[in-house]
Amino acid sequence: MTAQVFFLAAFGLAAVWFGIVVFRTHSMVRSALALLFSQTAIGAMFLVMQAEFLGVLQIMMMATEMSIMAIFMVMFMMDPGGLGEMDMKHQRKLSLAAGVIAFLAAIGVSVFADWGPAATVVPSADEQLRMLGIELLGRSMLIFESAGLTILTAMIAATAVAVQMPAKKEDAS
Amino acid sequence: MSPELLVALVIGAGLFGTGVYGALSQTNLVMIMMGIELILAAALVNLVAFWRYLHPDVAAGQMFVLIVMTVMAVEMAVGFGVAIARFRSRGSVEMEEARELKG
Repeated sequence: MTAQVFFLAAFGLAAVWFGIVVFRTHSMVRSALALLFSQTAIGAMFLVMQAEFLGVLQIMMMATEMSIMAIFMVMFMMDPGGLGEMDMKHQRKLSLAAGVIAFLAAIGVSVFADWGPAATVVPSADEQLRMLGIELLGRSMLIFESAGLTILTAMIAATAVAVQMPAKKEDAS
Repeated sequence: MSPELLVALVIGAGLFGTGVYGALSQTNLVMIMMGIELILAAALVNLVAFWRYLHPDVAAGQMFVLIVMTVMAVEMAVGFGVAIARFRSRGSVEMEEARELKG
């Protein structure tokens, strides 16, 4: 077993385990932190796969995103600490069956598909960044710009939905 | 197939299955969003693995990862916007109490 396989498996198992913990704990804050650890482990997997830029981006982005999620959990939940051990699940058997079927189907595709020969040489981090920059500002510029516009639209839409409109004043006359 | 690619795809499958279970089983809107985040994370793992072990010289593979990250950010922003609106109007983000949305 190579070191890369070992670390991929170790970080991957950590990611899946923390992903399971998200739905096992009664504490919403712990759920958000478990998801943060899961996403960080995925970022570490990217680093193992020599995608340095994407790994660092994943860890930084998810650290911010999950911190915000934890704050929202505290705001929205009556029992964010999980002390009352509230049950927040429904259709358990159906969900479990769907999850297992999705897992097995994905495993089946992974194992039985012919993926072709594996590449052994990967460009250096500098070269990867240069290639990605040229790709983003060249052939894929329209897609990249569309992604930026989509985020801007989502920000405006989310703010418009969330903002509280002032109540209309009664007409005095 | 290289063992590294197989390991990454199996981990992706595990994240996907966990995310599907979470998105279907939870009653809280924010917890459902967490399940969807896990499903998208599985897509990220698969995309990086395909780029690294099949086509490391094609930068479009990394660009797809950036697009999926964009989708994750958009999902969070819109999801929280809807959650705030729902919380303001009904005082809860429990989906069991949102049956009136059913057509």
